[in-house]
Amino acid sequence: MFGLIGHSSSFLEARLKARDLGFDDLADGELDIWCSAPPQLLENFEVTSNTGKTIQGTYIDSCFVPEMLGRFKTATRKVQNAMELAQKRGINITALGGFTSIIFENFNLAKFQQIRSTLLQWERFTTGNTHTAWVICRQVEQNAPALGIDLAKAKVAVVGATGDIGSAVCRWLTRRTGVGELLLVARQQQRLNDLRNELGGGRVLSLEEALPAADVVVWVASLPQTLQIDSASLRNPCLMIDGGYPKNLDSKIASPNINILKGGIVEFARDIGWQVMEIAEMANPRRQLFACFAEAMLLEFEDWHTNFSWGRNNITLEAMEQIGAASIRHGFSALGLEASSPAPVAIAA
Amino acid sequence: MANSVLDPCITDELPDFSSEAYKLAYSRINAIVIEGEQEAHDNYISLGALIPGQVEELAQLARMEMKHMKGFQACGKNLGVAPDMQFAKTFFAPLHDNFKQALVENKVVTCLVIQALMIEAFAIAAYHIYIPVADPFARKITEGVVKDEYTHLNYGQEWLKANFEASRDEIMQANRHNLPIIRQMLEQVADDAAELHMEKESLIEDFLIAYQEALMEIGFGPRDLARMSAAALVS
Repeated sequence: MFGLIGHSSSFLEARLKARDLGFDDLADGELDIWCSAPPQLLENFEVTSNTGKTIQGTYIDSCFVPEMLGRFKTATRKVQNAMELAQKRGINITALGGFTSIIFENFNLAKFQQIRSTLLQWERFTTGNTHTAWVICRQVEQNAPALGIDLAKAKVAVVGATGDIGSAVCRWLTRRTGVGELLLVARQQQRLNDLRNELGGGRVLSLEEALPAADVVVWVASLPQTLQIDSASLRNPCLMIDGGYPKNLDSKIASPNINILKGGIVEFARDIGWQVMEIAEMANPRRQLFACFAEAMLLEFEDWHTNFSWGRNNITLEAMEQIGAASIRHGFSALGLEASSPAPVAIAA
Repeated sequence: MANSVLDPCITDELPDFSSEAYKLAYSRINAIVIEGEQEAHDNYISLGALIPGQVEELAQLARMEMKHMKGFQACGKNLGVAPDMQFAKTFFAPLHDNFKQALVENKVVTCLVIQALMIEAFAIAAYHIYIPVADPFARKITEGVVKDEYTHLNYGQEWLKANFEASRDEIMQANRHNLPIIRQMLEQVADDAAELHMEKESLIEDFLIAYQEALMEIGFGPRDLARMSAAALVS
């Protein structure tokens, strides 16, 4: 069995969802009440691979909402308690979705392995970042040429280049895709210099310098609320992959010449009988999902019961190739600009 | 790229165990724990009348509660604090009255829900949150106690699981009647608990985790759990 730990995209969304589920007391409750709410096991469902293998999954809502980000202890508890619940339910491999993996990493929750009477077993969890990074790279490779962008000559900016996903994307674009020039954008100068040395190239730029120069922009950072983007200064065509969390780049840019693609999203070959992705506002919630969630499915399909993606900057090209091959094998495809529901695929005997 | 609002900040600091404010709060919290263990002892002995086949097992649980009570009395003495037992009796009165009433009516399910599920889950949550901020003496005692409390929760859980279909409606009714009382009890001690560096928010959440886990083991589905536990969240 695999697990997915997620959360609502806002407090308002969480209340609406609670109302839908018939939890009126919670729906009417203020944020303080949600801060005390334990994680909830919301759904069990099945997923069948292109290979014909069927696996069981469970969705756990951590009852975290982004409005809790300023409350260190609350946010920490939400993630730890959801992980404890997943382990206690005997789930083999669980993906930390949305903000939960970011909270785990930034608050260094690896220091706190003992949760009440449960010793968390890290090998039961994955951030799903390897698959996310691979999917984002594939989205670049598949969609830039469709817009007439020649990647061999293109300038590709990675915003959030030094993060776990960002650095993996940089490695892949340098060594596998072979882009014209990589523009590295991040806040910490030392990490940027280290990354540049590791890559053996790439130009370190500020966001303001990088945006007007880039043919492709890969966003893998949370966007600052104050961020303003002057659409007129961007190149035409320009492909923007919105791979951060939350995915709100389209609220920052309003221009028909700029092609914004939700990054790190995959589409499955057939409908999944769940409701969770409706909450995540997917265009096709029966088939589309976060690549990090799909990683937990892939690990379960393949019986790779291990924390495949864990810690910061450990993602290798080999691991990306491995998870990428599994992704294709089991029926996932990276979301494209012209996303349409693919025809149902026959399940292999 | 790190999100600026996600920068880690504080870790738990131990309270000043010798301050007057701490001791005053401790006189009530310590009394609650002592009274809780005493009543648990009496309740398990009383339950023997309703479950005659398990008198020995219940007596064994009761003996453990007495041992806990003595341990917590020692914790108070160690800090030079006299427990406010009158406060504690009043604190437990509404729940205790409901237990006694159920006992008179031979409602074994309700008795088990109150004592073996709610009170034990409450104790487990409170002890887990107390341990990291306890004085070294109390910490050691409490670590020993919390392990036993799981045994007690498990006893009620197993009995109700074995009798789930017949008990289901009464469990839900007992939940409806008594969970708001648990919530009020938590509210009543919130300020004193905060003095001991135990946060109300996490006390409620941890209580619900233990309580929901027991309900799930007994046979309730995830949707039932969320509905049943809402009574503890909304005051």
